[in-house]
Amino acid sequence: MVVGGGITGMQSALDLANSGFKVYLVEKTSSIGGRMSQLDKTFPTNDCSMCMISPKLIEVAKHRNIEIITNAEVEALEGEKGNFTVSVLKNPRYIDIQKCSGCGDCVQACPVELSNEFEMGLNTRKAAYKRYPQAIPGAVAISKGARPPCKLTCPAGCNGQGYIALSSKGKYLEALNHIKQWIPLPAAVGRICHHPCEQECNRGDIDEPLGIAPLKRFIADIVREKRKDGSLPPEEKPVIDPTKPKIAVIGSGPSGLTCAYDLVKHGFPVTIYEAASKPGGQLQWAIPKYRLPKDVLAADIQDIINLGIELKLNTPINDKLSLKDLKDQGYKAIYLAIGAQKSRSLPIKGIELPGVSLALDFLRDVNLGKEIKLGKRVVVIGGGNVAMDVARSARRLGASKVLAVCLESRPEMPAHSWEIEEAEEEGVSIHNSWGPTEIIAKAGQVSCVVFQKCTSVFDKDKKFNPSYDPSITTSIDCDNVIIAIGQATDQSVLSKAVRVKTTGGGWLIADPVTLATDEEGIFAGGDGVSGPKSAVEAIAHGHEAAVSIERYLLGLDLREGRVKSREEPAPIPEGEHARKHRIRNNRILLEKRLTSFDEMDLTYSEEEAKAEAERCLNCGLCSECLQCVAVCQAKAVDHLQKAGHLTLAVGSVVLAPGFDPFDATIKGEYGYGRMPNVITSLEFERILSASGPFQGQIRRPSDGKHAVKIAWIQCVGSRDVSCGRDYCSSVCCMYATKQAIIAREHESTIQPTIFYNDIRAQGKGFERYYESARTRFNVRYINSIPSMVKELQKNHNLLVEYTSETDGRVQEEFDAVVLSIGMVPSASTKVLAERIGINLDRFGFCATHETDPNVTSRPGVYVAGAFVSPMDIPESVMSASSAACLASQEIHEVRGSMVTEKTYPPEKEITEEEPRVGVFICRCGSNIARVVDVPAVLTYAKTLPHVVHAEENLYTCSTDTQDKIIKAIKEGDLNRIVVASCSPRTHEPLFQDTIQEGGLNKYLFEMANIRDQCSWVHATHMPQSTSKAKDLVRMAVARAITLLPLHQSRAEITRRALIIGGGLAGITAAQAIAAQGFEAVLVEKEKLLGGNLRRLHYTEHIADLQGLLATLIAQVESNSLIKVYKGAEVKSLSGYLGNYVTEIVAGGGSTERIEHGVVIIATGGVEYKPTEYLYGKSPGIITQLELEKKIVDRDALVTDAKSVVMIQCVGSREPEHQYCSRVCCSQAINNAIKLKELNPGREITVLYRDIRSYGMHELQYRKAREMGVTFIHFDVEKKPEVTQEVGKLTVKVMDKTLGKELLLNPDIIILSAAIRPQLDAEEFASKLKLPLTQDKFVMEAHMKLRPLDLVNEGMYLCGLAHSPKTVSESIVQAKGAVSRALTVLSQPYLMVGGIVSVVDSEKCAACLTCVRSCPFDVPHINEEGVAYIEVAACQGCGICASVCPRKAITLQHYSDEQVMAKTAVLVESAVEK
Amino acid sequence: MKVSYYPGCSLDGSAREYGESIKTVTGVLGIELEELPDWTCCGASSAHVTNDGLASALAVRNLVIANKIGRDVLVPCAACYLRLKSAEKELKSGKQIEENPGKYSSNIHIKHSADFIWEVCGEKAIREKVQKPLEKLNPVCYYGCLTTRPPQITDAKDPEDPKAMDNILKSLEANVKSWSYKTDCCGGSLMLTHPELAKKLVGHLFDMALEAGANCIVVGCPMCQSNLDTRQKEIMQANGNRYNVPIYYFTELMGLAFGSMSVDKWLKKHLTDAKTLLKQQGLL
Repeated sequence: MVVGGGITGMQSALDLANSGFKVYLVEKTSSIGGRMSQLDKTFPTNDCSMCMISPKLIEVAKHRNIEIITNAEVEALEGEKGNFTVSVLKNPRYIDIQKCSGCGDCVQACPVELSNEFEMGLNTRKAAYKRYPQAIPGAVAISKGARPPCKLTCPAGCNGQGYIALSSKGKYLEALNHIKQWIPLPAAVGRICHHPCEQECNRGDIDEPLGIAPLKRFIADIVREKRKDGSLPPEEKPVIDPTKPKIAVIGSGPSGLTCAYDLVKHGFPVTIYEAASKPGGQLQWAIPKYRLPKDVLAADIQDIINLGIELKLNTPINDKLSLKDLKDQGYKAIYLAIGAQKSRSLPIKGIELPGVSLALDFLRDVNLGKEIKLGKRVVVIGGGNVAMDVARSARRLGASKVLAVCLESRPEMPAHSWEIEEAEEEGVSIHNSWGPTEIIAKAGQVSCVVFQKCTSVFDKDKKFNPSYDPSITTSIDCDNVIIAIGQATDQSVLSKAVRVKTTGGGWLIADPVTLATDEEGIFAGGDGVSGPKSAVEAIAHGHEAAVSIERYLLGLDLREGRVKSREEPAPIPEGEHARKHRIRNNRILLEKRLTSFDEMDLTYSEEEAKAEAERCLNCGLCSECLQCVAVCQAKAVDHLQKAGHLTLAVGSVVLAPGFDPFDATIKGEYGYGRMPNVITSLEFERILSASGPFQGQIRRPSDGKHAVKIAWIQCVGSRDVSCGRDYCSSVCCMYATKQAIIAREHESTIQPTIFYNDIRAQGKGFERYYESARTRFNVRYINSIPSMVKELQKNHNLLVEYTSETDGRVQEEFDAVVLSIGMVPSASTKVLAERIGINLDRFGFCATHETDPNVTSRPGVYVAGAFVSPMDIPESVMSASSAACLASQEIHEVRGSMVTEKTYPPEKEITEEEPRVGVFICRCGSNIARVVDVPAVLTYAKTLPHVVHAEENLYTCSTDTQDKIIKAIKEGDLNRIVVASCSPRTHEPLFQDTIQEGGLNKYLFEMANIRDQCSWVHATHMPQSTSKAKDLVRMAVARAITLLPLHQSRAEITRRALIIGGGLAGITAAQAIAAQGFEAVLVEKEKLLGGNLRRLHYTEHIADLQGLLATLIAQVESNSLIKVYKGAEVKSLSGYLGNYVTEIVAGGGSTERIEHGVVIIATGGVEYKPTEYLYGKSPGIITQLELEKKIVDRDALVTDAKSVVMIQCVGSREPEHQYCSRVCCSQAINNAIKLKELNPGREITVLYRDIRSYGMHELQYRKAREMGVTFIHFDVEKKPEVTQEVGKLTVKVMDKTLGKELLLNPDIIILSAAIRPQLDAEEFASKLKLPLTQDKFVMEAHMKLRPLDLVNEGMYLCGLAHSPKTVSESIVQAKGAVSRALTVLSQPYLMVGGIVSVVDSEKCAACLTCVRSCPFDVPHINEEGVAYIEVAACQGCGICASVCPRKAITLQHYSDEQVMAKTAVLVESAVEK
Repeated sequence: MKVSYYPGCSLDGSAREYGESIKTVTGVLGIELEELPDWTCCGASSAHVTNDGLASALAVRNLVIANKIGRDVLVPCAACYLRLKSAEKELKSGKQIEENPGKYSSNIHIKHSADFIWEVCGEKAIREKVQKPLEKLNPVCYYGCLTTRPPQITDAKDPEDPKAMDNILKSLEANVKSWSYKTDCCGGSLMLTHPELAKKLVGHLFDMALEAGANCIVVGCPMCQSNLDTRQKEIMQANGNRYNVPIYYFTELMGLAFGSMSVDKWLKKHLTDAKTLLKQQGLL
């Protein structure tokens, strides 16, 4: 198992899978690719990171033996080395990977915008997303958290986030349909709902809750408007099945309407019986028009009735038409939604007087538009919402003084606070804590009400039980009294025949979950059951009743799965949320409110609604609006997916969880997070990227302005004890340099400045790159770390304060500042380490040992990449291969046992047949079909010559289409297949596999890329895009006709590795090969094994290197699988991958012939013999290696030395040797520490250009300084001068920091001499035809992703031959090289031939053009005097075929005829036009 | 709610308006200040540069009193705050200090006035009391050094970008400007020894406040206030720029927004005209 799908994990997985193992690749995000996929370009070659990684992604995706497990994490690891059981938690993706074609239709439909973590938050992505276009797996994923509080709070379960997200994108119809699932009366409820959702809205904790209800109203209103003008279609009507049982609903209030709505949508015939003359219940009669205009309500209700519901008005259910009668009429189920229509009265004196009325009667009269005569002063008794409605209606009817008097204190009042406030605005005065005792009349008319003081409303048990102080009374003069103290049901609906139980208070009794009454087939809900409650609560009952009734009628269990458990609502999403105040509905003027019943609040305008909707925080991430489900033609979306657990048996584990970028907010002085133009280096990568948020333009975040002056600040979160990150992150100097170069390449006006501590360009080719940045690209490097960044407020430019070597303290203004943030172990790795049981170091990196950098503290668990310590891409790749080598070593005996190989039916013979072409044209969901007229292309394809079958497919890559293709081949006797879809790069292997299953040779296949090259790039030019698609199909068919079957053959492999060079790298490699059960031949030119290691004695953590070496040599020499030749040299090498033959001249001059399948080059390097600084002229001037020996030998020269000067970069970083020797800084530091330990009083001064103690070596650098070692910085222009007079040494050095010249008189001078390639490197390279770098080190196949491979297939590279490196790095490389070699040695055979070049010897003139042009050195002139190309060695690049002047060479599958066939038909059509 | 109050020397003297305005606004917010009985010098003025032991002992003595009472201590002066926090850290680290009889294991918190009002009273309580919103006021908040640095002593949550006063002023509806100079040195301790340098530092603060679009500076430290308030003319003469930047204690502006009648009295004590701006905006 490989944990982590970044470049490291991918490489480990590929090495393991390619050497015969089954690999589970576990990745925590939705796709593999890791950090590398986020990078723009890579140093030092400036290759595009994505271009490099994407073929790897595809290779992993297509590999039969790699199983990618995404959205997953390791939970536990049990068992032991060779026999582990891993528990893996697989989080839901909400997309079926098998079905998803990655077309992106759902992404387009998704209305939710979330911060885009791939783009480092610089823009947004959808909740349905692909991390990046090339992501593997190519399937979309959906981000989903807990459900949002709005949805969880709504009694009816209405999903606020869903419809708000849809309306923010202008998808009003979709939004309305979404609402109507829960709220069938959207315009009415949007106006009058008491919106408990808004109280819980997370936005309320930031500023103000969202206008969830007003948005609902807006959506309902705008859709109604657009339906009126015909711009939106009317609501679809359900098909009612008359054979289904009939249902009666009693009452047309919100509850009854909802129940009827749900049932009719499910095809049931429904009749609503309404006693009143109009439908709507309390919405119709109790709620005043200024809150809910009756035409709005009528329209909502009409929409429901129109679905096919029978509404019987003026039809009360009572003794005349009883429930029993209904049953007898054939209604199989009845829903009682009778409401609470009656006002309660008061048992006080005077209640019967004229001028006293009950609230609901009053409101009903008002709503009926009856003429109501009110006096000037009106007393309303009650403190609930109805009382407020009454009081406010009274004001509108002309009462000049309206007093609402209630028992409750102000905070106890049951009315909503906003209702009370609005009433007060309208002049209603509220009088709290008074209870009425009597209404007094004068002349038969009400004249005043007497009240007594109410001391408490509720008793100890919080029950309504008012107590009074009769000694305190007051009386209020008035002309009218309206009683608004409560409601009751009208029970006349119940009869003796049908008995529904009621409570003492007169409420119907129904089961709280199912709403079933104790009467068979009768259900009850709404206010009639619950007492007066809100409309949404009544609606919630309506839904539940509908569910129960349907279940009842189908004979299902009513209760199953309906008792809801409490769900924890989603919290506020992470990240910054700017404060934005809620947009209020506009309101008509107060004067108008007091004189009319016109609607008080106005609907949002579209702009207001959009702005308000965009305030939504999308707490649930995915809004569950289900638009994705609606658009997905592959039916791949599954919102019900749950997390699952996998248990996997594995032999070993490789951990490659990568790193996180350092959190730059920790370094608060640089203002990241506060100052928009201070960005991190990873953000800058995305800004540079052509596919990034600014399409590769160097714009700054604050204003999108092109940044000209850009500063980089190095070591942010590296080499910094203050934030616990005292190691060096190794890569930042180079990536900053690269970013500066690339920025300049994008816009030559950009002025980059890099503020640094030391420039650490220690890798292969880095120094030259750094030099080019300084000299060719004018990147300004300033050796100072700024203390602080300040921001100017007017233009958001940044002031950087630093100390200049020449000008002292300087403040400089920049357009943008990039923080070169370091690497820290991923946050999740600590948990991972605990679960797996491995040790970490104090920073959280994996604890490893210098000699075994890939071995963790738990046997059988290995580690690779940046989890070991900070490293760049090539080092990660090497580390990955090395870990793979270790992971397979223990289990090498089972190699190949789980590998799956596919068998195909016998191939059909077609050479004699006429071409019969089958064309398959892909719609790619709507990805192609949206732009390209696919049916037109299909019709056209059918007219093309030799096309005998053509069809279009929704997704040509889907499994069922593969079956269709096979069937078509068989039934139509097809012998050529053309697919017009996407890129052959990703999909050709799939289709080739399919036609092989159909019995065709895989080369009888051709593809036309009508997605990338038509619908994507010409999305706005539909006709032209279709015409181009036709052209591409015609060309593909023309070529297909000319295609011929090709056959590959098997070639045997010599399972033996030749290792050239017996130093540490060679020995390690030989051992690793043997440990995998293969033979190794180790050739060393010296008489002894060990190479440079013989001159090394200790490292930071290894005390006795010589002891280690002796053990290694003994092991190698006694291993029966390893044959060692000492004092032997390679004379010649011939053959090719899998079958090399090498002649060596062994010790006694005898020649030996060795057959082998692979070669590992480990020829090493040498220490430079300095010619400068008087080396060799004085016994006191020695190199670091010489010093090491003298320290170990306790040589008096060293033990007596009281002062020591070390000079760095001797022979390194010079114009003629422009590379850094990488190890000398750490070596000097280690030796200085040793010297200090031997004699703490001794003075040690290190003269340096940049201290390059990268990675954990930095800790030693700090230690040396703490021990008192002095470091003096000199400039290459002013190198130190060494003089000697009468045995006394003097060093003159210009201290760059002090700006002063210093004179030192050391006893000894140590020169940190460069590492050079072997002196015979060129001669050796020419013998093996190895490419060399400018510096004569062996050149790898690719600097970044193939650091251990040579272009020459079957040859691998490790150790100093590659470039200078440490003991630890040599070990990693050697094991890595073996891992690469194993991918060949472990194959059962090699497949050769196919797309290779063949020579027509008749035509060959032996001109040598091909011999000279081939980058792989394959063609040569044979004994017959003509060019010969070895099939097994040819790479199929076609260069020879294109350069051959006699056209004697043909690249099979790309013959002239085949290429010309395409161009011919293209030109043909142009001529026709 | 009751809280212990350590005014320190300046709140009864040079920064009397700060002391009075704190009492007023905490009163409005329902906080009862109980002056520490028998409090003495915190050791900030001369002890901490001359005698470490005395400096600790003075602060510890006050902490011991506060500890006995057992309530959080509200400290308006930044220098007092730092002295008391330093002493608190010493005590908590287990250092033996003569004035401290027992083991210091208190749960009382030392709070600077701005942090206290923001963290304990909170946004809602402040907003509720606003009668005159300061909508047209464009302040920058200046925190100086002692309430935030060194963070291991002050326990400042965000020492590079403290926010308590900004948040309070925003709750008063003021149009608070961001700037990068919240904690830059005002040269307070150098005004007597290196006046030219100090004036340069203060002048730079004025320049940057104006660059940020501010029309006044809000502080929560008597030293900062006096340093910024007293020498504007001299600095103008020195650098040739024109300033007339009122320097308000944040509590004065809270009092103003809360409708306190004493604002006029407080502002009279300022040397740089602090009233014209407010009058122009109809706030006074």
